[in-house]
Amino acid sequence: MTSPAQRPPLFRSGDRMIAGVCSGLAAHLGWPVKYLRIGMVLASFAGGAGLMFYAWLWVLVPTADEGARRLASSIGPAVSASLPAPNAPLSAGGSPSARPAVPWFSGRRFQYGKELLLGAGLIFVAGILIARQLGVDLPLGTLIPAAAILGGAAIAWMQLDETRRAGLVDKTKADQAGGWVRLAAGLALVVAGVLVMVSGSGSWEQTWLALLASVAVLGGVVLVLLPWGLKFWRDLETERAGRVRETERAEIAAHLHDSVLQTLALIQRRASSEQDVVRLARAQERELRGWLYRDQAAGSGQLADRIKAVAAEVEDTHGHMVDVVSVGDTVMGERHEALVQAAREAMLNAARHGGGTVSVYLETSDAGSEIFVKDRGPGFDPEAVPKDRLGVRESIIGRMKRHGGTAAISSGPSGTEVRLSLPAAGPDERNGEGRP
Amino acid sequence: MNAAGTAGDGGNQRRIRVVVVDDHAIFRSGLKADLDSRIDIVGEAGSVEEALRVIAEQRPEVVLLDVHLPGGLGGGGREVISKSAHMLGSTSFLALSVSDAAEDVVAVIRAGARGYVTKTISGPGISDAVIRVADGDAVFSPRLAGFVLDAFGTSPSDIADDELDRLSARELEVMRLIARGYSYKEVAKELFISIKTVETHVSAVLRKLQLSSRHELTKWAAERRLL
Repeated sequence: MTSPAQRPPLFRSGDRMIAGVCSGLAAHLGWPVKYLRIGMVLASFAGGAGLMFYAWLWVLVPTADEGARRLASSIGPAVSASLPAPNAPLSAGGSPSARPAVPWFSGRRFQYGKELLLGAGLIFVAGILIARQLGVDLPLGTLIPAAAILGGAAIAWMQLDETRRAGLVDKTKADQAGGWVRLAAGLALVVAGVLVMVSGSGSWEQTWLALLASVAVLGGVVLVLLPWGLKFWRDLETERAGRVRETERAEIAAHLHDSVLQTLALIQRRASSEQDVVRLARAQERELRGWLYRDQAAGSGQLADRIKAVAAEVEDTHGHMVDVVSVGDTVMGERHEALVQAAREAMLNAARHGGGTVSVYLETSDAGSEIFVKDRGPGFDPEAVPKDRLGVRESIIGRMKRHGGTAAISSGPSGTEVRLSLPAAGPDERNGEGRP
Repeated sequence: MNAAGTAGDGGNQRRIRVVVVDDHAIFRSGLKADLDSRIDIVGEAGSVEEALRVIAEQRPEVVLLDVHLPGGLGGGGREVISKSAHMLGSTSFLALSVSDAAEDVVAVIRAGARGYVTKTISGPGISDAVIRVADGDAVFSPRLAGFVLDAFGTSPSDIADDELDRLSARELEVMRLIARGYSYKEVAKELFISIKTVETHVSAVLRKLQLSSRHELTKWAAERRLL
């Protein structure tokens, strides 16, 4: 924690034998991993110092991605267990094999972790037994309680699920290094105290009494700390809920900023042009409506959606309101695309030559799809359209005929209506679809 | 604003007493400016409680009612209608909404509103709608007609069906034309019937929409969380 600035931060590495302590340490110190591992094993024979040190680092040093998550959480809301760890290449040091980030104590590693812990414990016990066989006098009175305390702590720590653990770690490191120092000091004091108590007392009877007293004291402490603990827990929950709300609010704010506020600013600048204002307002209304009421289930490959999108496009280019009413819906097919294009042409004509709102009505049933595009313009005589004007003749009537549909145009003084009709897939197309 | 023009109105026209209920004051004043001289605004309200009080005091012929209103139990315009249900004989409700979401619209219609128009409707359009509702007719926007067709289906009824559960062939035709953007007058012309007949058909459809417990309609409504 007090490493010079140039050093990579101390993280447990993803490239590991047991828990990534050695390789992490190696990356941190800039030493070869191999020597560190050998040194750690050798140190283990020196009264178990290496093992203790290893366990200590295992508990206290975060994994690379956990560290990254903490870094991220100090910047913004941390909801990202899958966040790519920016520090991983650093802490992995010489090993460029950037493995997929595994969360701290994740399920997969946790399985092996348990077995490894158990194995380590058994090896430890075996070592003691062998040493006794060889006649070495070991301070069993010290070792057994120490092992018990460590085991108990490990079990207690494992009981917490990952999020709670993350939350607790987040809380304890509220003031960064200070929190860890306090936690470590407290833990060391407890361990030392119990050890002194157990090994210092001569008889088991005294130990028993002392134990009773300790339990009483612990009970008292729990009684005192319980309300604090509960409050702590509730704060944590509130904070988490608040963070979720905050994220949602931020999303809404971002959306409103990108859309509504921008449009309002534009409207203020263009206030003199009524048509621009109407167009902006309509486009914004449509966008906001889509955002608020959009049907999550409906895919974008639906005919009604396509027609609405086309209507929106026409509305944007010509500044005429285009109202779409749709009844029923169907999945888009190739022939439907022709229908959409013909409808688009009809809407464009209506917006260009008609007046007022353009009404579009789409009705889809088993029999087929029908689209009606109506405007309130002065009307025109469909027969009088010059031959060279391809808009109506080609883009609407011709296109519908080519795809097995019909188009009819009726025009009068009160407006023009284009009726497009596309029967449901005929036998030809069914066969076509039937082929793989 | 429109009160000044009464004297020159010829006197042969009765003025329709209207209460405007909308929580946006800007929209209320815009609406007042838009409504023509045949209409007399006798009260305004901005919340459910206020609306209930003003409607009970003034007993207007028509209430122009925003679907989304603060106050009350959170039911908005629907709540106003259902709590004024005893007055539905003498007072008609015309729902106004910026939202064209089916759940909002169909909920107020089923509560007893005589029609529904969007807030983007033109000034003459809203005046005509108020007068139509005051005459006891129903006002359908293209979108409401679309909802009706969606809910009742687009095939005409058989004789065996309960009459509330399906639209007749004629009613379907009328609904289709309204959905296509036709005015009542244009519908009448297109179908070679009188406007009065169109109004009768539309009122019949409204009644079906309000009273039908048809399986498909309830399912349709349930899917859209209307019930």
